[in-house]
Amino acid sequence: MAVSERAPSDGGIAPEDIRAVPARHPRRWVATIVILYIVAGIIHFVATSPNFQWGIFHQFFVFNSIIRGLGQTVLLTIVSMAIGIVLGIILAVMRLSPAPIVSGVAWIYIWLFRGTPLLVQIIFWFNVQALIGQNATVTLPFTGLALFHVNANQLIAGFTAGILALGLNEGAYMAEIVRAGFLSVDEGQTEAAASLGMSRLQTIRFIVLPQAMRVIVPPTGNETISMLKNSSLLSVVGYTELLYSAQLIYSVNYKVIPLLIVASVWYLVLTSVLTLGQFYVERYYARGSSRQLPPTPLQRLRAMWVRNLTAFHATPPEVPTPPTGPNR
Amino acid sequence: MSVMVRADGVRKRFARLEVLRGIDLEVAQNQVVVIIGPSGSGKSTFLRCINHLEKIDSGRLSVDGHLVGYEQRGDKLHELHERQVSARRAEIGMVFQRFNLFPNMTALENVMLAPVQVKGEDKGVVRERALSLLDRVGLREKVKGYPAQLSGGQQQRVAIARALCMQPKLMLFDEPTSALDPELVGEVLDVMKQLAREGMTMVVVTHEIGFAREVGDVLLFMDGGVIVERGVPREMIANPQHPRTQDFLSKVL
Repeated sequence: MAVSERAPSDGGIAPEDIRAVPARHPRRWVATIVILYIVAGIIHFVATSPNFQWGIFHQFFVFNSIIRGLGQTVLLTIVSMAIGIVLGIILAVMRLSPAPIVSGVAWIYIWLFRGTPLLVQIIFWFNVQALIGQNATVTLPFTGLALFHVNANQLIAGFTAGILALGLNEGAYMAEIVRAGFLSVDEGQTEAAASLGMSRLQTIRFIVLPQAMRVIVPPTGNETISMLKNSSLLSVVGYTELLYSAQLIYSVNYKVIPLLIVASVWYLVLTSVLTLGQFYVERYYARGSSRQLPPTPLQRLRAMWVRNLTAFHATPPEVPTPPTGPNR
Repeated sequence: MSVMVRADGVRKRFARLEVLRGIDLEVAQNQVVVIIGPSGSGKSTFLRCINHLEKIDSGRLSVDGHLVGYEQRGDKLHELHERQVSARRAEIGMVFQRFNLFPNMTALENVMLAPVQVKGEDKGVVRERALSLLDRVGLREKVKGYPAQLSGGQQQRVAIARALCMQPKLMLFDEPTSALDPELVGEVLDVMKQLAREGMTMVVVTHEIGFAREVGDVLLFMDGGVIVERGVPREMIANPQHPRTQDFLSKVL
């Protein structure tokens, strides 16, 4: 090997490495101790206070009806979000349409569903048979031609009413998120697509939407978490999702706080799962836009592990870098 | 020799500002026309009018015998439907100053997208053509690279391959080297020179006077929305007639 000017030391400390006495931060220590003291006090109170009745919590955490309610909450969230996303994309495309009636209708929809409280919309959909009657016939407007007959109580009740209320409301919010995503895509992209002879819809599908996803995904994650919690509003119309399942139990045994904690812990578990899922979806849509994708939590753990090991063995650290591009 | 682009008195306004004030031009098949001029002279706008990215306000503009954006029926002009405009654009390749590659797709996917989706060609056939085009622009090893992983020069060469994969009969270049670092300009110009030698009809807006001299058949100098001077590049660069051309060339040479 040729002589290099300043050969990197193998394992040892390079002569120019600085080893200084770290600065002291007494105030940080005081703050840390005070906060730890307060937190410990709260934990002690929560854990030992008989009022929390952890035994009751334990008893009902995986209770049959709670798990059933949990399943309903998950199902409502997934289906309503799916409706909201599809509706949001359609409304966003409509709003950007050059035809004024098309964009106007989308605008009015968003105005109506975003402008009235979700709770009001929920009560509305659960009482909609009052509007259309028990047995309604859907006709082609102005023609009297019958399209189909519905039994309002059968069609719009329970689950259907729930996802209609949540999904139609969500569509209005998603439309604005999707529209913001579309607007974030550089105009040069649509011009390039146009110059290749692509139509408006092809451009949206292949060029604009995939790039807009980077802007759309983070707020959609927020919306999904909101949806998860907003689904508890259905408890007011007696829909047995997670919260109402807990309420049904405490209306009998009066153990209000423990059962609210049961529901809350489940909401927290679901929210954590969604947060993790959001990370991976964001990572997927980041491909191509950044040279190097952020490491997954697992990769970060492994990197930390390797770093500690190598520090221990005093060999040059070699942190594994995550692969670039999609790793399928 | 047939005429590929014909412009008669083309005018274009943005609000109250008239950017094109009567452009007359004929580009013959296999010809390379180079347009130079100061910024704001309307040269890019004229280029964008040729594939209807901009709508002209008066005059006549046609590509390969078809009016751009309109159809003459009797003595009336009918606006073309969006679909027809797209079909015409599919026959004209365009290369942009800022490359405008699709960042969510690899180089190969960028090149393959339009022939498959717009022309409905077989994927295998397009793939072969795309690979040979990327090979031709010297990017055989980069086919799986995303635009963010490529240098500016490489991105622009992918953009040229993307336009060529549609097998256009006319190529438009809108300042293709203006956004590039100086040392990367050469590799893009080389690809364009080769394309010119192969007989592609090209309209090139550029500041590369050397390129104009080497491969241009006609050189246009535009200023203030009109063509101030036109001629054989070598003669015009060596001996410009109009004072504004003289002034401009003295600044860029």
